[in-house]
Amino acid sequence: MGRYLFNRLWQALVTILLSTIVVFYGVRALPGDPARALAGEEADPAAIAAVRANLGLDQPVIVQYFRFLGNIIRGRFGDSIRTGEPVTDLIGATLPVTLWLSVYAVAIAVVVGVGAGVIAAIYRGRWPEWVANGFTLMGLSVPHFWLGILGILYLAIGLGWFPASGYVPLLDDPIRGIYYLTLPAVVLGITIAAIVMRQTRASMLESLSTDYVRTARAKGLSRSRVIVRYALRNSLLVVVTIVGLQLGGLIAGVVVTERIFGLPGFGKLTLDSIFTRDYPVIQAVVLVVTIAYIVINLAVDVLYSLINPRIRVGGNA
Amino acid sequence: MKSPATRREHTFVATLCLALLLLGGCHPVQQAKGIAVHKDVPSDPIGNREVREGGTLTMGLSAEPDRLDPTTSTSLYTRYVMNSICEKLYDIDENSSIVPQLASALPKISDHGRTVSIPLKEGIKFSDGTEFDAAAVKKTLLRDLNKSDSARKSEMGPITSVEAPTDRRVELHYSKPFAPITAALADRAGMIMSPKALDKLGADFGDAPSCVGAFKFVERTPQTSITVKRDPNYYDAKDVHLDAIKYRIMTDANIRAANLRSGDVDVIDTVFPQDVDALLREDDIGILQSSSLGYQGVTFNLGNTSGVGKAPGKIKGPIANDPRIRQAFEHAIDRKALVNSVFNNWFEPACSPISPDSEFATAASKKCPKFDPDLSRHLLKQAGVKTPVTIPMMVTNTPDTLRFAQALQASVKDAGFDVKISPVEYTTLLDAQDRGDFKMLQLGWSGRVDPASNMSTFLTTGASLNVAGYSNSRVDHLLVKAEQETDSQKRARIYGKVISQAHKDDPIVYLYRQRNLTAYSHGVAGVATYPDGVVRVNKAAFLKEDD
Repeated sequence: MGRYLFNRLWQALVTILLSTIVVFYGVRALPGDPARALAGEEADPAAIAAVRANLGLDQPVIVQYFRFLGNIIRGRFGDSIRTGEPVTDLIGATLPVTLWLSVYAVAIAVVVGVGAGVIAAIYRGRWPEWVANGFTLMGLSVPHFWLGILGILYLAIGLGWFPASGYVPLLDDPIRGIYYLTLPAVVLGITIAAIVMRQTRASMLESLSTDYVRTARAKGLSRSRVIVRYALRNSLLVVVTIVGLQLGGLIAGVVVTERIFGLPGFGKLTLDSIFTRDYPVIQAVVLVVTIAYIVINLAVDVLYSLINPRIRVGGNA
Repeated sequence: MKSPATRREHTFVATLCLALLLLGGCHPVQQAKGIAVHKDVPSDPIGNREVREGGTLTMGLSAEPDRLDPTTSTSLYTRYVMNSICEKLYDIDENSSIVPQLASALPKISDHGRTVSIPLKEGIKFSDGTEFDAAAVKKTLLRDLNKSDSARKSEMGPITSVEAPTDRRVELHYSKPFAPITAALADRAGMIMSPKALDKLGADFGDAPSCVGAFKFVERTPQTSITVKRDPNYYDAKDVHLDAIKYRIMTDANIRAANLRSGDVDVIDTVFPQDVDALLREDDIGILQSSSLGYQGVTFNLGNTSGVGKAPGKIKGPIANDPRIRQAFEHAIDRKALVNSVFNNWFEPACSPISPDSEFATAASKKCPKFDPDLSRHLLKQAGVKTPVTIPMMVTNTPDTLRFAQALQASVKDAGFDVKISPVEYTTLLDAQDRGDFKMLQLGWSGRVDPASNMSTFLTTGASLNVAGYSNSRVDHLLVKAEQETDSQKRARIYGKVISQAHKDDPIVYLYRQRNLTAYSHGVAGVATYPDGVVRVNKAAFLKEDD
C-alpha cells in the first residue's frame, strides 16, 4: 500500500504541474485582458496601463509563469485582480460552501438512490419498482435549474417552507446552515439519486441472483440480513465509484445551482473569475479542482479495498 | 407481447407524466403583460408614517462591487455601497440637480473659470473619529489625481494645484476652465476618505474604508455580502433609522425578484422589464422608477484601425465612408416599437446621449430622426449600394441584449439591411471594440450627470472611449468649448449643435434609454433611486407593523 501511495503521489505532482501550464497559458489565450475587464466601461488608458503594471501583466509571459509557480510553491496564489482580496481567502470562503452543498447533495442522493434501488430490485415487476423508475426518469430528464426554480416558486415563495436563497456557515449555526442548504441540496441530489438508483438496482439484481446469496438464504438467514449484509454490500462498489465521480464533478462546478440559490460557492467564483479574466483566481481554482479530483480518485480506490478486502490497491485481487 | 406488469408500469408512468403536464399547464408561466406607466417615482418618503427604529435592511445587489476605494473603483455597483458609507462633496437630487452634501454650497468659480472654490460644512467627523476639514479633502483629491491607477484623474480635468487656504475651504486651480468638475465631485471623485485611514492602509484603503457616512463598513464576505452598520459619529444621525444594511450579491434578476417576493431581501436594484409587471401585482411590493442618464446604441467603426485612443485610420467599405448609409440605418429603426416589444414598454426610445430630463436638454438634443423606411431605401439608392446591405453586429450574449438585437435585425430588414448578429462575452466585446475589430457593435453607457462625460470621451478625436474612430474637427472644437463654458444654458446650446452634427455623421446611433427600476417591500420606506441609478437606502426605515 505504501509503494502504491508513493507512486500515486508523484503522478499527482506531474499532473498538477502540467495543469498549471495548461491553465496559465490557456487563460491568457482568451481575448480581453484583466486590466481592461476591470476598467469596464471606464477606459482611462493611463489607469489601465498602471493596473497592468501593478499586476505584472506587462512582463513577458514566461516570467509571469515562473513567478506564479514560485508563489504556489510558497503557498501563495496572489490577490484577486477584481476585488484585491487574497485568492486563498476567496477560496477559503467559497470552497466550504460547495463542499458542504456537495456532501449534503450526495448524502441525499445515496440515501434516496440506494434505498430506491434496493426497493426496485426487491420488488421487481411490482408497483414500487415503477415508482422508483418514474422517479429515475424524472431525475435524469429534468434539468436541475428548472427544479431549483420550481422549488423556489412553490416551496420558498408559495409555502414559505425554505428560504429562497442565502447561506449560513454550518460551523457557525449547524441547524440554520442545514436549513438553508436543504433545498439546493435536494435539487442537486435528485439527479445523482437517479443515477445511483439505476446502478444500485442493476447491481442488486445481479447480486441477488448469485450463488452465495442463495446459499445464505438456504442457510436460514433473515431476508433483511441477506439483502443488507450480502447483496447490498457487494453492490456498493459501483455506488462508491459513481459517488466519487459525481462528487468530483460537483466540486468542479455546481454553478447553476449556486447562482439560483445565491450561494457564494466555488462554482460561482470560477465563473465570475473567467468572465472578468481574474487570472490569479482562475489559476487557483483549476489547481484546487485538479487536486480535488486526484484526492477523490485515490480515496475511491482505497475505499474499494475496505469494502472488498479481496481487492488490493496496487496489487492483485 | 407486453406482459400485464409491463403494461401497468407504462400506464403508471404515462399517467404521472400527464399529471405533471396538466399541473404545469395550469400555472401561468408568464404573467399577463401590464401597461407600463412612465411616471417618475424616485422615492417612497417616510412622510408621516411611524417607523420602527433599528433593524437590518437587506438589499439584493445585481453585481458584486469591486474594491471599495473611490479612487480606483470602476464598478457602478460600488457606488451603491459607498452611498451609505462615503458621502461626497456634492450629490444629485431627484431632478438630477447638483446639491451640496459635504460642501456647504455650490462651488464658486473665479479667475475666468480657472479657480474653483469649495466651501465645506462644519462639525463633521469621519467614521474613525478624525475631523473632516479642508486638509482631508485636499488629501483625497490629490490621491485621486496622483495615484497611478486612479480612475478619477481624467474626470477631474486639467488641475494644476489643490489648496486648502482655510479649514473650511478648498480651492482647485486649473490651467483651463473645466465645467464638468462639479458633476465629477458629485460622483466618486468627490467621495472624501479619512486621512488617518489613508495613512494607515494606503493602497489597501478599500479593505476597510473609512469616510463620512450614515453607516460605516463592517465586513465583506467574498461573493456574498457587504455589511455596514450605523455610524454614531454621523452628523445627520436624526434621519438614520436602521441599525445596519446588508448588501447581498444576487446577479440573476429572476432570483433577485424571487427573493424579494419571499421576503429574504427588502430592496432590489435593476429589476428587469420582464419582472416588473408581475411584481406590480404583488400587494406588498412597490416599484421606484426614474429615467437614467445613460443610453444604449450601436457604434459603427469609422476609423478605429490602430486601437482606441490612436489617430483614426481608413476603413474600407461604404458603411464607414458614406454617412448616407448610416443615416439610412437610423431611419430604418422604429425605436418605439422595438422598446415596446422587447422591454414591455418599460424603457424609452433615445436619440441622443443627453437625457430629456437633464438641465442640458434642448430641442436639438431631443430631436429624433424619424422612422422612415422609404427614406432609408432612398438614401441607400443615392449611395449606390446593393441591397441588402450586410452589416455584422457584435453584441453581448445576455438574453435581453440578444432579444433586442434580433428585434433590431428584423426592424431594419425591410429597409434593405441584413444585420448578422455575433454574440460574444462582455470582456471579449470590450477587447474587440478597443482594437477596432468590428464593423458595428451594440453597447451602451451608464451615463453621468454632466453631458461632457456622455459625449466628449466618445466623440472627440482620439478620446479614450471613441471606439468608433470618429473624427470631426468641428465637433472637437465644440466639445472643448462646451467643457470650458461655465454657463449651463450656453453649454446646453453647444451640446445641441454637437448632437445635430452627430445625427448627420452617425458614428453612434442612439437607440433607447433604460429606466432605473428598483423594487422594495412595503414594510420599508425611505428608499430612493435618482437618475444616476444609485439606490439610496441610508435614510430608509422599517415601518411599524400596523402601517
